[in-house]
Amino acid sequence: MTATTPPTPPAAVAPDWLLNREAALCPCGCIGKRRKGSHIEKTLTGAAQLLRQVMFSEDTAAQPGMLQRLDARVKLVTVSGLLVAGAFLHTIAALLVLYAGTLMLAACSGLPVGFFVKRVWLFVPIFTGIVLIPATLSVITGGEVIVPLWHWHGHVEGITRQGVLSALLVVCRVASSISLVVLLTLTTPWTRLLAALRTLGVPRMFVLIVGMAYRYVFLLLGSVTDMYEARKARTVGAEKPDAAARRFVFAAAGALIGKSMALSEEVHQAMVSRGYRGDAKVLAQRAVSRMDVVFAAAMAMFGAALLIGEHFVVR
Amino acid sequence: MCADDSVTSAPDRDSPPVKEPVLVCTDVAYRYLGRFTALAGVSLAVAAGEKVALLGANGCGKSTLLKILDGLIFPDRGSYTAFGQPITEDTLDDEQMNRAFRSRVGFVFQNSDAQVFSPTVRDEIAFGPLQLGLDRTQAARRVDDILRLLAIEDLADRAPFQLSGGQKKRVAIGTVLAMNPLLLLFDEPTAALDPRTAEWLTELIEDLAKAGKTIVLATHNLDALNRLADRCLVLGEDHTVLVDGPPRDILTDRDLLIEANLIHPKTQLPVYDPSEPDSSGA
Repeated sequence: MTATTPPTPPAAVAPDWLLNREAALCPCGCIGKRRKGSHIEKTLTGAAQLLRQVMFSEDTAAQPGMLQRLDARVKLVTVSGLLVAGAFLHTIAALLVLYAGTLMLAACSGLPVGFFVKRVWLFVPIFTGIVLIPATLSVITGGEVIVPLWHWHGHVEGITRQGVLSALLVVCRVASSISLVVLLTLTTPWTRLLAALRTLGVPRMFVLIVGMAYRYVFLLLGSVTDMYEARKARTVGAEKPDAAARRFVFAAAGALIGKSMALSEEVHQAMVSRGYRGDAKVLAQRAVSRMDVVFAAAMAMFGAALLIGEHFVVR
Repeated sequence: MCADDSVTSAPDRDSPPVKEPVLVCTDVAYRYLGRFTALAGVSLAVAAGEKVALLGANGCGKSTLLKILDGLIFPDRGSYTAFGQPITEDTLDDEQMNRAFRSRVGFVFQNSDAQVFSPTVRDEIAFGPLQLGLDRTQAARRVDDILRLLAIEDLADRAPFQLSGGQKKRVAIGTVLAMNPLLLLFDEPTAALDPRTAEWLTELIEDLAKAGKTIVLATHNLDALNRLADRCLVLGEDHTVLVDGPPRDILTDRDLLIEANLIHPKTQLPVYDPSEPDSSGA
């Protein structure tokens, strides 16, 4: 066992500029102008917030509540059924009863009702606002004008009673539907929800791919944040949305694609190493319990009662 | 492919039994993208029950060699046989051969994120056993045993992105142990781990070796080399094998360590003190 010592390469000499101090701050001590953050920063902050939200919803899904104890498949099928029932309801009162039902379920599942309500009503204006505001006007929905706004050829135009009722109906329907979906996502870990999709006939490979995409999006989001922070740490002054910023975005996107390609190859190798040959086998989910059946039956009766009750009341 | 019993009786009754090699690489060469040389004629034989460490600087080809040993990539030149069978793309296309090879060889990747891809830890550990044909009940039992063995029961239903680096490494090792392979390949097992986790892993590798598993690992960790390996293969920066010998010989050859870029000429750390014969553990 012999080895010859290679000649040691000459030590790199630091250039002069690296050995001299440079003025880092303005000598007069001024603090300069303050500007708002860039759109990149806002996007990244938004993504990080999403991450925290997902983490938080995982926490609520792990609480010992009523819905958390139920099988994800049963919840998915039940919520889908109630969503369909909600779509067939035509009165505000019936939709309010459905919404009240979701609030009760949220309370029984240990979810903070205030947080639940806020989470639902955050989305309602987004889905309904743009569509419904014009629909309340007499030019779209004719009828009895209750808030006159302007005159047109001698006719009073404004917000109509029929328009407001139609808008309220849609708002109630959207609110109850979103409540059901939020209830499902807050009380079910995302991974179980994905697995439960198979009960609705979604192919196994699709579920596997979506699950992996969900798993790795967080990893790649971390890479993006690191890249951005590394740039920000070397940026002097305010960031401007100029060509350099655009170049950074494109370069970061390119680097990210490269990273994700390398990662996907390694993930595939890790799968092959453990015997994967194109058909992923997964552990079966737990059996449906009596509590699951009772819950499903109760929800089916609730949905049927709403539909039948509304039918008789309207008639 | 049924060469589990790799110990043959020696011709001379007084001499120790000779172990047949389970892995044999002969003059293996590999280039990435046909241009970047990773291995330039590496030969290696690993006997059953051996602990072999691959040492070398970054980019000398350790990880590439491990991937070839796991049949994930295939050499441009030279041959590789495992358990007496040639390992090529063609032979691994055979389902029976593939299953036999995969169930015997487990690979713990350096990047745990690549290895922990399932939605939950429980699904992750069950992945290998299920692919290899175990029924769900048996796979679930193995998962429970592995979770208990690695003391990660509390992580069973957690998503991988919620785990720390050390926890991910434990899960990655669990995914491989669940397949109960005869031979374990580790790529930089203790890299980027805190001292306690690194020590836990070193002890685990020692225990696995005592249980008769064959271990091949790539490492920079010279401190624990005596415990991690009973034979070392030093890869040079020219992508060939510089030396093949026991850890004691490697650690006492300062010139070799400098040449292989495993230590720097200014390194003060006495890697091995020859005045203490037991310090190598060899």
